[in-house]
Amino acid sequence: MTDITLNVNGEVKTASVPPETTLLKMLREDLNFTGAKIGCDVGDCGACTVLVDGLAVNACLMLAAQANGKEVLTIEGLSTLDKYHPIQKAFEDVAALQCGFCGPGMIMATKALIDQEQELTRDQIKDALSGNLCRCTGYTKIIDGVIDAYEKITGRKVPARNPRAA
Amino acid sequence: MVDETKLAEKQETVETLRKVDDDLRLPSVPERNFFPKEIDIAPARLQTPAIGQRATRPDGRLHGLGQTKYIDDMFFPGMLHAKIKRAGVAHAKIKSIDVSEAQKMPGVQATLIGSEIPVNSFGPSLQDQPLLADQVVRHAGDGIAAVAAVTEQQALDALEKIKVVYEELPPVFDPIEAMSEDAIKIHNNDSNIYASKTIIKGDIEQGFKDSDYIFERRFTTQMVEHVPMEPHASIAEWDANGRVTLHSSLGRITLGRADIARTLEMPINRIRIIATVVGGNFGGKNEITTEPIISLLSKKTGHPVKCVFTREDEFISSTTRHPFIMDYKTGVSKEGKILARKVRIVCDGGAYCSWTETTLGKASILSAGPYNVENLHVDAYAVYTTKTVTGAMRGFGAPQVCFAYESHMDDIAAELGIEPLEIRLMNAFNEGSSSPTGQVLESVVVSDSLIMATERFGWKEWQK
Repeated sequence: MTDITLNVNGEVKTASVPPETTLLKMLREDLNFTGAKIGCDVGDCGACTVLVDGLAVNACLMLAAQANGKEVLTIEGLSTLDKYHPIQKAFEDVAALQCGFCGPGMIMATKALIDQEQELTRDQIKDALSGNLCRCTGYTKIIDGVIDAYEKITGRKVPARNPRAA
Repeated sequence: MVDETKLAEKQETVETLRKVDDDLRLPSVPERNFFPKEIDIAPARLQTPAIGQRATRPDGRLHGLGQTKYIDDMFFPGMLHAKIKRAGVAHAKIKSIDVSEAQKMPGVQATLIGSEIPVNSFGPSLQDQPLLADQVVRHAGDGIAAVAAVTEQQALDALEKIKVVYEELPPVFDPIEAMSEDAIKIHNNDSNIYASKTIIKGDIEQGFKDSDYIFERRFTTQMVEHVPMEPHASIAEWDANGRVTLHSSLGRITLGRADIARTLEMPINRIRIIATVVGGNFGGKNEITTEPIISLLSKKTGHPVKCVFTREDEFISSTTRHPFIMDYKTGVSKEGKILARKVRIVCDGGAYCSWTETTLGKASILSAGPYNVENLHVDAYAVYTTKTVTGAMRGFGAPQVCFAYESHMDDIAAELGIEPLEIRLMNAFNEGSSSPTGQVLESVVVSDSLIMATERFGWKEWQK
C-alpha cells in the first residue's frame, strides 16, 4: 500500500491505496469525489479531467502516488456556498450539458483554458477541448458555454464566427 | 512498585493507536458540498407562460456541479465488482469452461457460467441471445463467464485464470455470403436470413418500361457503435426475501424487467429496477445485458454486485448500428420524375437479432425517400453473421437508407443536368400523397421546408 497526502479542493486528504491505483480511482473510491467520471480509463475521453497544480490532466492516466503533495481541484471544488462558478452557470444557461457525463471534465478543461488568460478564438477553444469527448451535444452548445463563461470572467470578446466556416 | 518502562511502553502504544485512529478517521469525514442550496423560483402567479420562453434543463445544474449520481458513482456496503470474460473468437463450439483457478484468486467471491442461468436467452423480438454463451460462441464479444471480486482489479485478474477450450468453427463475416444456401448456418436454422420484408406498390415492370433512363447503384454503410460516455452499468442486490433490486442504466426498464424475470424464472413482482440518470443511451441501452448475471452473483455471495462495462466491453459486446448493403434501381422520365424504384436491402444483423426486426421494417418503409414513387418494389433481408450484435441506434435504419436515396438522387440530378433542389421539389411528397405502404399523408411540408432551408443557408450562393 502507498500512503498519499494531497490537497483536494483546499483540504488536506490522506489515503492508503494499492500502488497501481490511479488518481481517478483514489478520488472516487477513497476520497468520495465522484464528480470526475470513468469514461474510457485510457485517457481518450477526458471525462476524468481534474486540475493538478493548475494544469488539466486525465486523472485516469496519473497514478495516485504521482499526485502526492500536489494540489488537486475537482468539479466539487469550483462553486462556493454563495455562488456557482461562472463556467457552471454558463454551461447550465446555454444547455451545454445533456446527459451530463462529460460535463465535469469539460468544465475543468474550460477552467484550465480560461485560467491561462490569453485572447481566445473559437478555433482555439475547439483545440483546447479536443481531449474531451461528448456524444450528445455535437459540441456547439459546449463551445457557446465556454465563450459565454470566458467573456463574463475576463471581460474580453471572442471574435464572431465566420458563417462560411464549418 | 511501578514498572516505569512498562508504563512508558504502554503510553507509547496508546499514542500510536490514537494516531492510527486519527489517520483512519480522516478519509471518513463526510465531504462538505460547496454550492448554493436555494434556487430562484418565480412566484406561481408571476410565472410566464412556457411557450416562447428559453428553457434550461432541470438537471443541467446538477450535471455542472458534478453532483449527478450515475451508477458508477453509487457505492453500497459490502459491494463487490463483477467483470465478464469475453470469447475473443468469432465462431466456436465451447468444449469446456474451467473456472476453478479463477475461484482461488485473491478477493474472488463467486463465478458464474451460462449453464447456471435458469433461462439463458433473451432478446426483444427473438430470444436468440445467451447472457453468457455456454454452447456456441457466435461473435468475439460473447460473454463466457463472470467473476465477482472485492475490487475491480481482482475481478479482472481472475478473468485471466478462466480456461475455455474451443473447437473453432469457420466465421461468416459477409452478409451476402451468409445469405447463400451453402453458407454455414450460425444458429442451426435452415437459413441465416432471420427476418425479411417486402413492399410492393403499383406495377414495377410497367414503371421501368415507361422510363426514359434507368439508374442503378449499390450503397453500403458501416457498423457504428453508440459510444455512450457512460458505459453500461448496473448494481444488483438479492435480498433475504428472495427479491432482487437493480440499479441500472437500462433505458426501457419495464421491458427489461420482463426479460430479467424470464431469464431468472421468477415472478416479475420480485424484481425491482431503479432507473438512474443515464450517461448517454442513443438506443444502445434498450435491452438487458448483465443484469441477470449480477443478480445471480449477488444471490451467490449475499452482497450487492456492481458491473460496469470497460470501454472494450462496450465496443465489442454491446449493440451497434446495422451495416446495410443497398441496391437501388430507379427509372426516371427525361424531365427527372421518378417512375419506378426497386430496392434491395441486406441488413447485416450480426450474431443475434436484438432490435433488427424493428430496424428492418422502418428501413424498408422509408427506403423510397420522401418522394412520390408510384411503382415501388422493396425487398429487405436481415442476415446473421458472426459479428458484433446489431440493434437499436437512433433512427432504426432510417439514416442508412437516407444516405442511399439522397446520394442516388444527386447522381440522377447530375446525370440529367437538373439542379439537385429542383429534382427533389419535383418528386417530393405533397398534401395527400400516399406513402409506400399506402398511408395517406397530411400536413406535408417537405417542399416548403426545403425552400425555406435553402433560402436560410444561402444554397444559391453555395452552388457557385
